[in-house]
Amino acid sequence: MANEDNNTLESDRTGNDAVGRRTFLGAASAGALTTTLAGCMGGVGSGGGGDDVFKIGHLGPTELQMGRGAERSAELAVAELKDNGGVQGQDVELLSEDTGGSPSEAERVTQNLVGSDNVDLLVGTFVSEVTQGIIDYVAERDVPFIITGSADPATITENHGQDYEQYKNIVRTGPINSDLQAEGMAGYASHLNDLHGFENFSILADDAAWTGSFRDILPDLIEEDSDLSVVHEDRMALDTDNFNPFLDDAADADADVVMRFIAHGGAATFTSTWAQNEYPFALEGISVPGMSPEFWGATNGTCLYETTSQSGAGGVSELTDKTMPFVEAYEEEFTGDGQDPPSKPMYMGFNSYDGILFYAKAAEEAGTTDYNSDLDAIVDAMLNTEFTGAAGEISLYGEDSDYPNDLKESRNEDGIISNFPVTQWHEDGDGGVVECVYPEQDATAEHVVPEWI
Amino acid sequence: MISAVYALIAIGFTMIFGVGGVLNLAHGALIMIGAFTYLAATSAAIPPFAGFLLAVVVTAAASYALYAGLVKYIEDNIVITFLATVVVALLLTELVIIQFGSAPSQLLPVISGTIYLEAVGTRIRYVQLLAFVVSWIAIGALWYYVTKTDEGRSILATSMSTRGAELTGVDLQKVKSRTWLIAGAFAGIAGVFIGTLQSTSPQMWLSPLALAFIIVVIGGIGSIKGSVIAAYLIGYLETASVEILGPSFQGVLSLVVLVAILLLKPNGLFGRELVHE
Repeated sequence: MANEDNNTLESDRTGNDAVGRRTFLGAASAGALTTTLAGCMGGVGSGGGGDDVFKIGHLGPTELQMGRGAERSAELAVAELKDNGGVQGQDVELLSEDTGGSPSEAERVTQNLVGSDNVDLLVGTFVSEVTQGIIDYVAERDVPFIITGSADPATITENHGQDYEQYKNIVRTGPINSDLQAEGMAGYASHLNDLHGFENFSILADDAAWTGSFRDILPDLIEEDSDLSVVHEDRMALDTDNFNPFLDDAADADADVVMRFIAHGGAATFTSTWAQNEYPFALEGISVPGMSPEFWGATNGTCLYETTSQSGAGGVSELTDKTMPFVEAYEEEFTGDGQDPPSKPMYMGFNSYDGILFYAKAAEEAGTTDYNSDLDAIVDAMLNTEFTGAAGEISLYGEDSDYPNDLKESRNEDGIISNFPVTQWHEDGDGGVVECVYPEQDATAEHVVPEWI
Repeated sequence: MISAVYALIAIGFTMIFGVGGVLNLAHGALIMIGAFTYLAATSAAIPPFAGFLLAVVVTAAASYALYAGLVKYIEDNIVITFLATVVVALLLTELVIIQFGSAPSQLLPVISGTIYLEAVGTRIRYVQLLAFVVSWIAIGALWYYVTKTDEGRSILATSMSTRGAELTGVDLQKVKSRTWLIAGAFAGIAGVFIGTLQSTSPQMWLSPLALAFIIVVIGGIGSIKGSVIAAYLIGYLETASVEILGPSFQGVLSLVVLVAILLLKPNGLFGRELVHE
């Protein structure tokens, strides 16, 4: 009986609720409709340059050092633009959003930036999966988008390569995509062979989109040099916390060099497992956490002798005449007591800074920032712009190339890719210091072999 | 080698459950406290060994404080205790992020150095050996304590039957406090070694806690012997998975065994062996 009473009561309430809900839904949809209309009108207005503020939306995982460095570097670029009279006479404003490194969160914040805030330019995205998660929406909305963090070539080949018209508003000004990075890495492998006689290479890669090129094409590229062979390959799940089995396998295969491509938090464990066990090979490749200027402290110095490739070369080498002024401006603003790490911009910082200034220059050439009516002019201007950034020369591949709208690699007189610097941790008194060891024209020190080999 | 460390975690977890009926989900957070205490101590130039002792003491104290300050008042309601300990764990995670940042760091090993076992093609760090030895000493001491001393036997008695223990004159509050202290000290030891061998980060507590859960379920909830055996079973299964299937499949076989145990022997291998309700 009691139960039945409850049921009746419950269902009555539900009935009331249902009426309430219907009314609410009606009101809400009317509201939504109005907002959508307002949004459309706003979009036309701002895209047409109706307001006199040029809004830049920056996307990155700002709780990570990489994302924070990028956000701060974008602030520096905006400050610089403001000092120089803005973009096309408009004042400049930076709206920075945290993607949390997750495609769904990135989609939400991107829709807000484009749909509600009416940004005139999007810059950023660090995780390749995030870039690929928002790319269709961004292509649909035509807002210019400059990729400054993620390097998966499929972002370009699977989109621009299939339907250029649809994706032409999206470009990458850095880093060079991982196909080209793999070629650079193979050149570096030959360099190590010249220097130390290393012959056997092992490739250990994160099981993630960005390492695809290193798993698929790097082995063949390395073996193009007939002195070199790839003796061991494996991929590591992102939640790996015990790296002994991987390193044991590499040692069993007589590797002289392990090239690891690692972007997640386990990198510090990887490094200390290698150093404390004194595994008999050099540690090369790309370690995203290893690019942090604070990595020495985080690993208690076990990162000594490990290297990573990173665009911007960690801010220790004068790549162009803009490198050092940028790094100094960053340090003045963001390094010191009470400031959160990173104490240098890190690679995405270089690229976000360069990307924003690159776009400002292209907009001056195009004479417009109105992407709704003049997108073609803007895209043409970006493709024709040659810009010297803090991380190197920026010019983009054209529509008919393999990587449309993607950053061109720079090559030295020997045809070696040169905008692919490699840095190594060296000893400096009680602490550690980052030195650029490759390519030779940018090197600040020579590559050192771990003392236990 | 690291199985012994996992056994420490699981024993602490299962003792608290056995004695008080409390599922302490903040147990993983205690591991984190141990690791970060050690990190703070060694970065303040305290020698590693002293830092290790300090970490164990601080973690035991934190565990006791958790019991005396919170769990004591709510332990009769399983759901509230369960939720409250989750909240404590998340709160501690946030505090650690604020204090130390979210990037993982590496601990200074208590002793450094390594040996190369050429026959099996692997390397063992001294700190791994130390983790093994210290964990077994701790487990042995606990075993002696709960089987040979009156104080310890009262813990065992309480986990068999609360009422029976009370009737024989056991002070329940004292027993519970002692249990939390021991569990905390074990978590502190485990924290330093896990933080050294794996990584020290605000998320470091999650996977040891999950493993402890699996170990306790396989070994039988409340059983110390079961925890040790299950920890080794899991350890060997993980090593076997790495050998047979490759490093990416580390956890697969243990999950298969977990499912099998849940289906065939829901009380675990040694479940409820000592309980006489």
